Amino acid sequence: MNGRSVVGSAMLYTVTVAMLLFIAAPLLVTMSLSVSDTQFVSFPPKGFTLAWYGKVLHDPDVRSALSFSLWLAASATAGAFLLGLPAAFALVRFPVPGGAAIRSLLLSPLIFPVLVTGLALLQLFSILGWGSVPVNLLIAHILVTSPYVVRTVTASLLLADVTLEEAARTLGASRWRTFRRVTLPQIAPGVAAGGLFAFMVSFDNYPVSMWLADAQNDPMPMLIYRKATSVFDPSVATISTLLIGLAIVVVLLLDRLVGLRRAMGM
Amino acid sequence: MTVTARIFPFASLALPIRSRVPSLSRAQLAGLLLLLPATGFLLAFFVVSALTLFAYSVLTQRADGVVALPLTLSHFQHFFSTSLYTHVLFSTLRMAAVTAALAALLGYPVAMVMVRGNAMVVRIMTIIVIAPLIVSVVVRTYGWQLLLANTRTGVVNWILLSLGIIHQPIRILYTETAVIIGSLHVFFPMMVLPLASALAKINPQLEDAARTLGAPSWRVFWRVSLPLSLPGLAVGFTLVFSLTASSYVTPAILGGTSAQMLGNLIEQQIAAVYDWPFGATVAFVLVATVLAINMASTWFLERRNRA
Repeated sequence: MNGRSVVGSAMLYTVTVAMLLFIAAPLLVTMSLSVSDTQFVSFPPKGFTLAWYGKVLHDPDVRSALSFSLWLAASATAGAFLLGLPAAFALVRFPVPGGAAIRSLLLSPLIFPVLVTGLALLQLFSILGWGSVPVNLLIAHILVTSPYVVRTVTASLLLADVTLEEAARTLGASRWRTFRRVTLPQIAPGVAAGGLFAFMVSFDNYPVSMWLADAQNDPMPMLIYRKATSVFDPSVATISTLLIGLAIVVVLLLDRLVGLRRAMGM
Repeated sequence: MTVTARIFPFASLALPIRSRVPSLSRAQLAGLLLLLPATGFLLAFFVVSALTLFAYSVLTQRADGVVALPLTLSHFQHFFSTSLYTHVLFSTLRMAAVTAALAALLGYPVAMVMVRGNAMVVRIMTIIVIAPLIVSVVVRTYGWQLLLANTRTGVVNWILLSLGIIHQPIRILYTETAVIIGSLHVFFPMMVLPLASALAKINPQLEDAARTLGAPSWRVFWRVSLPLSLPGLAVGFTLVFSLTASSYVTPAILGGTSAQMLGNLIEQQIAAVYDWPFGATVAFVLVATVLAINMASTWFLERRNRA
């Protein structure tokens, strides 16, 4: 290696380490302030207390937002699978006329501004007079999560071995049995990763929920947003830390299941 | 049922055309049936609702709040002739472009280390780069609110004051800079991942050859790595630009009233002013902006593939 390329790679690694610190910084600061023994959130943290955790975990608003978000994310993921799994299977394994166009349509909510998707649904629901907030939120969340399911399941199916399916069919297995016994075990990790990712997309969503939620049906990100702009004690940092912890668990799971890059579809 | 029909569609490509035609339409039918729920759902709740929203942008809202005919372009005229609104449009475009450009500049080194590093380094880096994507944007933006706070107890101000670099807290929160920093953090992975994919596809022998022939490393990057990774850059730039331009939470928390984006304007028009046609107009402008950059990027990639 000559002198100049040493300088080059030193620069490369300096920028990389700086960017990794930049990425971690807001998460680390939030975590450090969640145990701060002060009345108002301020840096640097002082002392150590778990009192904010006790307060947050007993807060009825936090508990109801958490259970509502978990219900919403689980139901939205189930819905996204009901729609997305057969669709991805059809796109990869069947000679569908106009398949490419249908695929673009199914993935189009990914490039459409999510905020506008939510607004358009609010308008549609009010024109139709659909007043059930949980159902409306569920429809909206299925809409934003289903493209992720389509994308990861499609990628998994493309990697699955078609000759195994052909063998099963030749040996007389029905199409459904072939899918259940041959295809599904092969794509299971990808499907699980897609499901987990879709769950988190719904669980984290703000820009769709902000149009459709109300006081009785209050998803977690809405609660944090309100608290972040109106509460100045460390409890907001505590709720945030709990969610960061959940995200870290999910990331490690995704990494174990299929590798993170594939789970992201990139 | 014959064996050939039953093993369709996988073995049928080898069959003579004549026996293929009837089974093909069966499989096509089955495929379309499997696609029906997803496509129907999307048409009903995505396509129809978006078209209805855009229809509002050319309709008139009566005094009693009902939106109806006549057709009008007055909302667009109002948008483009009011300096307050064009100002929000241009600052949205500016913040999105600066964020995407910074992400590209800082994303290249990270992506290059991710592609070339050993397996353990790559794995840890991938976890650090991707983990924040699974944390809600509200949580991440709250973290930046703590970091950038304009008082002595804001993290950045505290560090700069402790180091004696400044003597009075500086104002970072509620500026465009804060929104750009927050957006860069939120969407950085969307640049690094496509860049890393593109860089991984480059044959390392090309870079080795350039180096052997005496090119310094910046030149190898400029003449070999950069041109060959342009598709990844185009995808990353488009993603970061579109996502930043469509933000709501980051400008609302970090930008305050002084660095608003189109998303905040839409929310105000609907939730505070109840002006549905004008809110729909701003939404249309936002969607048109995002579609334009996506189409430009697709056009660029296709032209490159043909060449």
